Amino acid sequence: MIIGENIHKSFGDLEVLKGVDLHVKPQEVVVLVGVSGSGKSTLLRCFNFLEMINEGKITIDGHTVNPKKDNLTKIRAEVGMVFQHFNLFPHKTVLENVIEAPITVKKMKKEEAKKLGAELLKKVGLEDKANVYPSKLSGGQKQRVAIARSLAMQPKVMLFDEPTSALDPELVGEVLQVMKQLAEEGMTMVVVTHEMKFAKEVADRIIMIDEGRIIESADPKNFFENPQNERTKQFIQLVE
Amino acid sequence: MPEIFVTVYDVFMRTYPGFLEATVVTLQLTAIGVILGTVIGLVFALMKISGSKILQTIANIYITIIRGTPLIVQIMFLYFGIVEIYTMSNFWAGAIALGVHNGAYIAEIFRGSIQGIDPGQREASMSLGMDRRQTMSRIVFPQALRRSIPPLGNQFIITLKDSSLVYIIGVAEIFSLGNREAAQSYQPFESFLVVALYYLVLVMIFTFLLRLYENKLDVDRA
Ligand SMILES: Nc1ncnc2c1ncn2[C@@H]1O[C@H](COP(=O)(O)OP(=O)(O)OP(=O)(O)O)[C@@H](O)[C@H]1O
Ligand SMILES: [Mg+2]
Repeated sequence: MIIGENIHKSFGDLEVLKGVDLHVKPQEVVVLVGVSGSGKSTLLRCFNFLEMINEGKITIDGHTVNPKKDNLTKIRAEVGMVFQHFNLFPHKTVLENVIEAPITVKKMKKEEAKKLGAELLKKVGLEDKANVYPSKLSGGQKQRVAIARSLAMQPKVMLFDEPTSALDPELVGEVLQVMKQLAEEGMTMVVVTHEMKFAKEVADRIIMIDEGRIIESADPKNFFENPQNERTKQFIQLVE
Repeated sequence: MPEIFVTVYDVFMRTYPGFLEATVVTLQLTAIGVILGTVIGLVFALMKISGSKILQTIANIYITIIRGTPLIVQIMFLYFGIVEIYTMSNFWAGAIALGVHNGAYIAEIFRGSIQGIDPGQREASMSLGMDRRQTMSRIVFPQALRRSIPPLGNQFIITLKDSSLVYIIGVAEIFSLGNREAAQSYQPFESFLVVALYYLVLVMIFTFLLRLYENKLDVDRA
């Protein structure tokens, strides 16, 4: 569904991704782990073309993206992204947040978009918050709106960059619950998270990134019980 | 002490018909100065964030010159400059000078509020498939505009007071009337006290209206 081959990305002299190969199959849930600064966010942002790769190629749903020729706007619409800090639009209500892109990008009729929006808000358990502004929501609610907003574009794959890291501990569960449900419905997902319980339960594969390279890739059982790389062993000890 | 109240009161009562007319002129100058300044400011703010080196340089030159020279010099300069090429009333020359002056400050207000929007807003918008133009017009500008309102209101108040400087080209606004009154009546102290009161009351009214409006914005969003 989403394939990265030999991805290199530098910021000035700093090479952050040093040849990453990642093949995410349809309906697969991949959890990315790694210490701070290892390049997890950068990798996700490359998949969404918020950052442009310096070398390598990215294929989304069978189409190898050519950043010079392709309409990146259209490609971004197919790849949903959920951010650590939600990034809801504060000047729009919850429902308006969700229907903004379907209306402006897909030219969906307002009535139709509202129906879709209401369905999605119901899915994330926030149908009663449709007309409030984001400032009135808890962090967990904000993140669920952000997920609904992303789903409204019917993306082929969803990227999550530490979706629960900015939340109070008691609000983490409600967001993970929604993500788990998405995974069960067959959404292809790449998730950066420190929630190891979620990784064990939901991930098909856990990938460890270290200094811009993939150093471990295994199903959760093997990842935790039989890690091959020294750094992975250290990492597991740290989180367990 | 009570005596001064009596004389100020006398001056006030004697001059208010003229001052009311002058107040209208001051308000007109201010309104035109701010509206024109907003249009100019918007254009130059867009130039500054455009990413084009040439446009940025032009905008920087304009802003540097305006902010680096006294308004009264700009008024004279524009007045004699414009009158050379195109005959127009002193009023319009003054109003345009105020607009050009304000444009530089308002450009900075707009630029600041656009650049002050969290980059995450742009990223979220782009990640949803909105293009640059849609992101700007639907996500960034509406938020930036709200942020601009308090400093724009502030600029309005500054302009109201600054408009007194166009007395130098003989526009019959509050200050120039006060000036004349002071000379003719031999009561300069009382005359300028009355002038000060007019400005003070106007500024207080606008400050109050601005507060109301800002509160309304907050309530809307809550
Ligand atoms: N826009 C940028 N300009 C310059 N350097 C950047 C930029 N974005 C990221 N970096 C650098 O790239 C490296 C990897 O950053 P990245 O955000 O991908 O790490 P991460 O694995 O997501 O870390 P964290 O767990 O802290 O979120 C860091 O050293 C960071 O400082
Ligand atoms: Mg990160």
